Amino acid sequence: MSTNTSSWLSRNKWILLLIGVPVIAGAWWAFRPEKLFIDQRVNEAAPAALSSEPEALYTGKLEGKVHPTSGRATIYKMADGKEYLRLSDFMTSNGPDVHVVLVRGEDKALDGEIVKGKLDNVELGTLKGNQGDQNYDLPAGADLNKYQAVAIYCERFHAIFGVAKLEKF
Amino acid sequence: MVRTIKTGLAFTALAGAFLLQPSLRAQDSMEKDSMKQDDKMMHDGKAKTLETGKFHGKVHATSGRATVYQEAEGKLVLRLTNFKTSNGPDVHVILVATKDAADDANFLKDNTEKVELGKLKGNEGAQNYEIPAGTDLTKFRTVSIYCERFNANFGAAPLEKF
Repeated sequence: MSTNTSSWLSRNKWILLLIGVPVIAGAWWAFRPEKLFIDQRVNEAAPAALSSEPEALYTGKLEGKVHPTSGRATIYKMADGKEYLRLSDFMTSNGPDVHVVLVRGEDKALDGEIVKGKLDNVELGTLKGNQGDQNYDLPAGADLNKYQAVAIYCERFHAIFGVAKLEKF
Repeated sequence: MVRTIKTGLAFTALAGAFLLQPSLRAQDSMEKDSMKQDDKMMHDGKAKTLETGKFHGKVHATSGRATVYQEAEGKLVLRLTNFKTSNGPDVHVILVATKDAADDANFLKDNTEKVELGKLKGNEGAQNYEIPAGTDLTKFRTVSIYCERFNANFGAAPLEKF
């Protein structure tokens, strides 16, 4: 039996090679399996027009809590290292004593609409307007690893108007 | 008499409340705010951010962000940041005329419209792609990392207004 097989193999060696090699080459071309292990890393600079502009670090979409709130919160870093928050396409309801604050993203206090007790936050300032684009400077050393969300917060009534969870840009 | 005083007091209280809360009456639109000027200067530079979205993809783990910028002369640029996908053969970056794209093979049907942006420059890292002039971004809402040879979607990023 074994002699039969080996003699068959030796007789048809060339046919096997003629068929096998192109099939393997074709499969390799199609699937390029080695690419599973080879990374092609690039690091292009931002388009020229962007290079002189503030760099976006984090961004998140605002979602309404007590009041319908929409828009986007983005944290930028300027060339001199200063960071600021920009609200764009922004809209919330107007109200008394409304502040823009950084809060902890996983803070249980954010689950509800009204905060019981004290809200752990970094104050950025009184809301400048309930509609429109606006910027807020971040205090030097604000820990963005800890405070990963932006809240529109009515301090008088401890009401959260809206929250944006920040994600890496 | 008592009633008149009561009514008077009530009105005074109401008036006081409104004086203390001018914000209740006015929509302080930022148009009037002087800060608007600074804001504009800082962001009326050479490029404007139009759209952004996060990548998702499970078959070939894909992550990162796709952002569309408009340069001063109107040119649109797609930039991938924090980007990572698996390497593969014949991989392209395309815009698809859908809201989002599921993660699968054979994902482009014959009638799905797409815009080719170019071959994927690298499976990791920040990279830019020019968007052809006249591309309708209200229609093409998804960026896909697309293996043309196998009609497979490695990952997709649905675009949202910035």
